Amino acid sequence: MPGHEPPNKDNKELTDRPRDAATPGGITRRGFLKGAGVTAAGTALLEGVQVFSREAAAATPENVKEYGPEPVTIALLVNGKEHPIEVEPRTTLAEALRIQLNMTGTKISCDRGSCSSCTVLLDKTPVNSCTMLAIDAIGHHVTTIEGVTEDEKMHPLQAAFVRHDAMQCGFCTPGMVMSCAALLERNPNPTEDDVRQAVSGNLCRCGTYPKVFAATLDAAGQMASKA
Amino acid sequence: MATEITTPVFAALQQAASAAETATRTVTMPVGVPGFTLGEEERTVPVTEPPVLPINKDLEFIGKPIERWDGYAKATGRARYTADVALPGMLYARFVNSSVPHAKIASIDTSEAERMPGVKGVHVIETFLGGAELRDPSLEQSKYPVVRFAGQPIAAVAATTPQAAEDAAAKIKVVYNTLPFVVDENIARSANAPQVFPGAADQAGTAGGGGSRAGIPQTGNVHGPSVRKEGDAAQGFKDADVIVDAHYTTQVQTHSALETHGVVADWKPDLLTVYASTQGTASVREELAGYFKLPMSQVRVITEYMGGGFGAKFGAGNPGVVAAILSRKTGAPVRLMLDREEEHLSVGNRPSSDQRLRIGAKKDGTITAIQLISYGTAGCGTGAGCSGPAANLYKWATLHTEENDVFINAGPAAAFRAPGHPQGAFALEQSIDELAGKLEMDPLDLRDRIDENPVRRVQRQVIRTSEIWKSRNPKPNADSGIVKRGVGLSQSIWYRHLNYNSAAEVRVHKDGSLEILSAVQDIGSGIKTALAQIVAEQFGVPPAKISVKIGDTNYPPGPNSGGSVTTASISPAARDAAWQASQKFLASVAPGLGAKASDLTLSGGMVRSASGKFQPIAFRTAAAKMDTDQVSAQAKRVRDYDPKKYITYGGIDCAEVLVDTETGRIRVKHVFSVHDCGRPINPAQVTSQINGGVIQGISYTLFEHRLLDPNYGLMVNADLDKYKIAGSFEVPKIDVQLTEVYIGQSSTDASGIGEAAGIISVGAAIANAFYNATGVRIRQLPMTPGVVLAALNQPQQMMESI
Amino acid sequence: MNSFALADCSTVEAALSQLKDGAVVKAGGVDLLDRMKNGTDTPRRLVNIRNIRELRGIHATPDGLTIGPLTTLAEIAEDRGVRADYTVLADACGAAATPHIRNMATIGGNLLQELQCWYFRSADFECIRKGKEVCFAFSGLNQYHAIMDYGTCPSVAPSSSAVAVLALGGSVELTSAAKGKRTVAIQDFYVKPDANPHRFHVMADDELLTAIHIPKPAAGTRSAYQKYGEKESHDWAIADAGIVLEMDGNTCRRAVVAMGAASPVVRRSKEAEEALAGKPITQDTARAAGKASMTGAMPLSMNAYKVQLFPVAIYRTILLAAGQMERDPSATAVAS
Repeated sequence: MPGHEPPNKDNKELTDRPRDAATPGGITRRGFLKGAGVTAAGTALLEGVQVFSREAAAATPENVKEYGPEPVTIALLVNGKEHPIEVEPRTTLAEALRIQLNMTGTKISCDRGSCSSCTVLLDKTPVNSCTMLAIDAIGHHVTTIEGVTEDEKMHPLQAAFVRHDAMQCGFCTPGMVMSCAALLERNPNPTEDDVRQAVSGNLCRCGTYPKVFAATLDAAGQMASKA
Repeated sequence: MATEITTPVFAALQQAASAAETATRTVTMPVGVPGFTLGEEERTVPVTEPPVLPINKDLEFIGKPIERWDGYAKATGRARYTADVALPGMLYARFVNSSVPHAKIASIDTSEAERMPGVKGVHVIETFLGGAELRDPSLEQSKYPVVRFAGQPIAAVAATTPQAAEDAAAKIKVVYNTLPFVVDENIARSANAPQVFPGAADQAGTAGGGGSRAGIPQTGNVHGPSVRKEGDAAQGFKDADVIVDAHYTTQVQTHSALETHGVVADWKPDLLTVYASTQGTASVREELAGYFKLPMSQVRVITEYMGGGFGAKFGAGNPGVVAAILSRKTGAPVRLMLDREEEHLSVGNRPSSDQRLRIGAKKDGTITAIQLISYGTAGCGTGAGCSGPAANLYKWATLHTEENDVFINAGPAAAFRAPGHPQGAFALEQSIDELAGKLEMDPLDLRDRIDENPVRRVQRQVIRTSEIWKSRNPKPNADSGIVKRGVGLSQSIWYRHLNYNSAAEVRVHKDGSLEILSAVQDIGSGIKTALAQIVAEQFGVPPAKISVKIGDTNYPPGPNSGGSVTTASISPAARDAAWQASQKFLASVAPGLGAKASDLTLSGGMVRSASGKFQPIAFRTAAAKMDTDQVSAQAKRVRDYDPKKYITYGGIDCAEVLVDTETGRIRVKHVFSVHDCGRPINPAQVTSQINGGVIQGISYTLFEHRLLDPNYGLMVNADLDKYKIAGSFEVPKIDVQLTEVYIGQSSTDASGIGEAAGIISVGAAIANAFYNATGVRIRQLPMTPGVVLAALNQPQQMMESI
Repeated sequence: MNSFALADCSTVEAALSQLKDGAVVKAGGVDLLDRMKNGTDTPRRLVNIRNIRELRGIHATPDGLTIGPLTTLAEIAEDRGVRADYTVLADACGAAATPHIRNMATIGGNLLQELQCWYFRSADFECIRKGKEVCFAFSGLNQYHAIMDYGTCPSVAPSSSAVAVLALGGSVELTSAAKGKRTVAIQDFYVKPDANPHRFHVMADDELLTAIHIPKPAAGTRSAYQKYGEKESHDWAIADAGIVLEMDGNTCRRAVVAMGAASPVVRRSKEAEEALAGKPITQDTARAAGKASMTGAMPLSMNAYKVQLFPVAIYRTILLAAGQMERDPSATAVAS
């Protein structure tokens, strides 16, 4: 029924689960962004996408691909899966994710790169998806908040966000998670200042920052102890 | 009709119902602050009320930092906000807004827009909602709503893609007959200023507050004064040994919730369904049903998740009404979400203030008189009054307040987290600090003298013994370096508002599953979790296992979330429903257990036989014995047990700042926040809200400022870039101490915290800390480097070495 | 944002062939998309150079550094070599905008970033920069505007990397299909509003910025950049300073003092540099240089505080460069 959903199973499990069991099997899940790495398989996929795109683009002088202004079909590699979509050249990556792909975890709030609610990872790098064209994501691995959760299970960072109540209205939360996930990937042992720097472009109007810092540091510790 | 029913059964039912409402019993309730003043008081309560709830330390789920019920949905991005709702065939709508601050519209040509590809519907707005309205509408003749601010919506387009809607909106041609305008409130007060309204006008308040009293005089653009006189203030000042007299100004702040205002409206012949980013599903339904003259049964409002409101999101407003009209016109669902610029311009803000505050006191600190003359602008609305703190924080012998709204050609204000109070406290709490200085009294000692509230007294004791306060050098400007450290504090005050339109239903299923339903919406403060905890406590089931279904007018009525009413209003209804459902549950399982219902109790998740007839049975096992698949109970909020009791909430924020006297940068290092939150249902969530109040308060105090160009009347910083909001580096160390307070007022005895904490008191705490650091008063917000350097340059030469 | 066609180019040659008929170059796109969303820019055709690999990367040469214009601000801020030997540039790139923007924004785009004046950025105001006669800032809201050298337009230079490139004596390489390559010193690259209010740089429509050259610093060089905003998380500079000191022991042989947020074009303060040359770096000499930097300042109605702030930014950054002071906690934190 619209408007409602039962509490998620996974949430219940987590609530009941002892804290140190957040990473089942004692295996680190730091590799959650592995789909975003330039692995051999990734490269192959990448080339497939480019071929696909070239076909979509009109034939023009060598080394120039023409797009639009009419809608064009492109393929985006999102969360490890290829998605053919139709976009106008002016469609931003955030719009394409939210409207064409119905991945609404990525939010649009300022639409100018000032609030980072729209944070996704381009390869492994956090970027503002509102401030880039969908076409510019061709050939890159895009990771959205939907891609951080694996088999319905929260990533240790997400679990730490829940444990520390690092959210209020929750609208900035996906962007915060993406920024902090990218930080932990890059720097498994961050200081609080590192976390502040990592989210210095993420606005939270409810003022949840202190718990975002605590959750991220806690997740880092947990992941380190499981590594 | 009920009056026509005369059957004996009905009469008996009626009698029983009214007897149940009036029958009472006397109970003993915990009252006071555990560890300080906890005692007991008797209350007379309806017999339908559940047993008195012990204090938090004796409970299993209530009062514990339970994980946020929808934490999973929020952390994984699965939480569906209004902006995320996508219905089959949905159209995207976009407003066309005024580009001038004051005009009558001569003509609107939508023909080209209508021919644009993808366009399915165009609507020209007939009534602008949200601003003040003329008492005598005949004073103004205009075919279209008069434009009173740049950014006022004029028309809207619905199209198959957002891009098509944007392209079409750009093709609507509006011809304006521009009128003289004024956006500077000081100019607006002068006799020959352009008039925003041709006569007296008033703005209604919302569930979140704001608006102004009716019948206030108006002269030109000045709507006021709204006067309150208690005793002879002139005599009070004559009686005073010391008078502090100061002038304060504060800026306009915009709410800037991350999710903008907006709806998805789906108009069907028999049902208008509206997904709304709102703090009040009830208020949205009421407004839409009223506007379209629909029965309330044919309007359904859903708010599954909402991305922040802070007071600005009540009612359907222009987006709600226009989306519904476009949906009716096109026969398709319509999504209309504002963009960031529109959010700044047209859907609310915190009014400015210009306050002349005089306080007279005796040598011992006793206040003989408080006089506050205030002006402020709520744009083309009203609601800039800010006398709450001056009138209510401390004891005075005489009081004289005059509040004036100054109309300017800007978007109307809306309730914003503790309306009027951050402005009022910024002035009052600095003047009280100044008074303490003049009287050579410790700021806490002075407040002990003039504030008898027993909770605040406890809180001052907590502050007095805190490391941060003990580290304060009472002598201002004691540091000799370039960067000076200071510590200051401020109190806050808010009031016990309740919304009795609050009810909940609790259902028990035969498989032991439980659900709670209410139309109340979760605006981020965590009411879903609180409701789950309340049901969990009753049935001894973990809160995460409770199905919480709220934010839908199909469920029992819920309060609008404004003025810190939500938890205090809905939680007793939820507990009553849970308790009553548990009694029905026991009655339902009694036959299966071979016991009398009166022999059964449910506690700690076990069904027990008082007579020892059987060993305790787990709730879930017992549930299998229910004689129907489901039992349920719906309960509404009963009146506060002792409604005559005047209850205020409040607390103290103590700030440590570093002032760089060369750059004018104020860095807030540490805030110690001690706040009264009644019985905290979920201390983790309460702490989150207080953190948020503190951070929003810092942001208001140091950075935020709506800037209107004086020559053209347009906002120049309608974004999240040059409209500056505190970010991660601006967040100090925040230590929150909850003052757990029992007041003996309801079956949960819970209170709200949204307004009272942080946002009211942080500004004055920083200003007082600034004075402590530098010996200089800043009586102007925001305290940007430019303002700070100017203040430091005024009284003394700080910069001799440059 | 208006509808447009996009020509996605994979080589410089291909891109140059597309620079005609009002086509606009897009690199990272951060600034351009902002302006298009605001409606101030409405190009019908974009030339996407984002995927030209040859324009990426930081290359050490015997003479210094050559930086591809598509190198992101984050890549420069994080580069060890740049941090060690060209600190002022790493600092400037690491203090810009937000981490996410630094990951997308290129140094070429940063050097070519349009003015940040709010009147210029609004489609509602047709100002002198947009071909009209009027400036709205002089009589309007100008608290963040210029205090020096503004002539007809007081919008300040928005690029922090330009301050560093100027401080290091860098230059840019411009390439066109018709005329080939030319190199322009950064101080000659930007155009003051009085000279041409409609174009703030000397690039022609058919030219592409293809490289940034930074000469190798002399032995004993130390440098630093600091940006001061009203807040630390994502703010524009209200004062900034790029400092390069060529030291002999503790004596400053030669100093460069560069500023961004003081004027429409990044500028060096001859007066401040002279105040340091041949002197030891001390609190006194640093402060004297800061004070000298404001020679000729003419603040507007709302920004006199910047005249007080700039000398502080400059003296503290001189001391930071000289290793006599920690990074200022009042200044924007620098990502590394």
